[in-house]
Amino acid sequence: MAEKIYKCLDPTGTQLPVKTYPLAPRLDTLDGKTIHISITGEPDITLPLEKKLRSDYPNVNWTQKKSYTPTPVYLTEEEMKTTDAVILAVTW
Amino acid sequence: MPYITKLEKAGIPTVIVDLEDQHEMVKQVALQYGVPKLRYLPASRMLHGEKDVENFIEPMLELLTRPLTDEEKESGMYMPPSQRILFEGTLEEAEIFYQQTRHVPKPLDAPIAVYTDGLPVVIPTEERVEKMLEGTSHKPDELITYQRDGIGKKGDVVRFLPMERTATVERVAVNAVTAGCKPEHLPAVLAIAESGCGTGTTTFWGQWCCISGPYAKEIGMNSGVGMLDPGSPANMPVGRAYQLMAINLGGAVPGVNRMNSIGSPFNSGGTCFAENAAGLPSGWKGLNEEYGFKKDESIVLVINSGGYIVGNQFSPGGYRAFQKSGHGGMARRMDVKGIPGPHNWLEYLVPQLWAGREGGYTFIMVPEMAQHLYEIGFKSKDEVYQWLWEKSKEPLKQYRLRSWPDEGTNGWLGIERTSGKHWKELPDDYMVPVVDEPTDNCIIIGGGDEEICQQLTGRRGMLGTAPVFSIDAWR
Repeated sequence: MAEKIYKCLDPTGTQLPVKTYPLAPRLDTLDGKTIHISITGEPDITLPLEKKLRSDYPNVNWTQKKSYTPTPVYLTEEEMKTTDAVILAVTW
Repeated sequence: MPYITKLEKAGIPTVIVDLEDQHEMVKQVALQYGVPKLRYLPASRMLHGEKDVENFIEPMLELLTRPLTDEEKESGMYMPPSQRILFEGTLEEAEIFYQQTRHVPKPLDAPIAVYTDGLPVVIPTEERVEKMLEGTSHKPDELITYQRDGIGKKGDVVRFLPMERTATVERVAVNAVTAGCKPEHLPAVLAIAESGCGTGTTTFWGQWCCISGPYAKEIGMNSGVGMLDPGSPANMPVGRAYQLMAINLGGAVPGVNRMNSIGSPFNSGGTCFAENAAGLPSGWKGLNEEYGFKKDESIVLVINSGGYIVGNQFSPGGYRAFQKSGHGGMARRMDVKGIPGPHNWLEYLVPQLWAGREGGYTFIMVPEMAQHLYEIGFKSKDEVYQWLWEKSKEPLKQYRLRSWPDEGTNGWLGIERTSGKHWKELPDDYMVPVVDEPTDNCIIIGGGDEEICQQLTGRRGMLGTAPVFSIDAWR
């Protein structure tokens, strides 16, 4: 006798649809641009990073906001208008 | 991560510096927030910062200037398929199917079960799930929503962590079947589902549930001897259901988005136990009443925190000698030699409670030991919580030598909560509580007669929210 065939249900959750976006266009050059350093902890890395960025790339207008937690200090809507790129370090 | 995706959507190019083992998590969160091709590169966990920066600074800046690939210019819709029937076949075939694994690369580098916790499960046939659904009056296609204001707003759809997926009552019932639950367990499993079944980050790694109220007796839960041990046909499957929901409804995968470096035995097989309400001293509230419910209402407390157990600091015989006649080591340390009790046995624990960590504990104590606290003058749990909070205070000079406060105080740039002053304005001898709030500690009465108190690490709420869910709402 053939064994019974069962319908077995899916235990997984439902992923809601997510609209996906392209990356923002990249910069043609760093010179003259305002680049924001969003620091989230790890001062062993982020302190020398900021120092080297400022010394090796003097033609960039560097801005910075710092948090010691994984959550960055956000740019305001006004600041976003004058910011050309953002570096987030370190995500953990 | 939502912040970075917001910037990209606004036309601001970004680059993320992460740690190599967390690439999969970054990729997954980037997709969840709609910018799947975020650019990132790793810093080192071990290199000296200056050397590390030398290595990655140029590649990092190149990620801001290198033109986009065709793939990076794509937009679209992420909509993975969802089906009700996952598999058709014999029970034997289904057992093999549900036990399938996938290889998760480093930092794990081992096979991990796709649909289970690694152990065999009860196969969720349509018939079994239908039977399970008899355990609730809620409709199978009803989405899981918050039944009251708490960690979410009443009526809002619960998003299961970490993938922020949604689930229906039926999907929860499927997981209850796989966990080995009976229909009468379903209201508890649905209440636990309301928590979103988080699995935490790299450090908040232990999940456990405690049921309070008459429901615990109704389904035969063990709140006595060995209540954290195996054997109970109610405690075990309900605890397991949490973990299966985290895996299936939330999409938690070790090494991908469940990054607990070592993990916790609480999560192996799941952990659920019950409060022994009959063991509460007169006037002490059960967990249900602590959270504003009535004594005859049933709730589940769902904790997701740094999870390990401390205990066994004194011998039960030594405890009895201390309380009965003031003899033994506990009496000598407490300076009550020859003086009959009751004595405050918590004093014995205090020196080590916060020596190595900060934050609240859940104290699981047997009824006799709670009664001793009552007899020496603690007429409510709140009085014990307040006493413990006072005892957690230490001079700021000492508090500065701890690790987590570097982050918790935002690099000592924030405000100290009890004084309202900036950390840097406070004198060295300012007394700082190592536990944020008195009620970050929690007392649960349970266990057998042997004089034992176990302390579970981790405060009971995150960000001021009460992780308590009504079971009655899901009957």
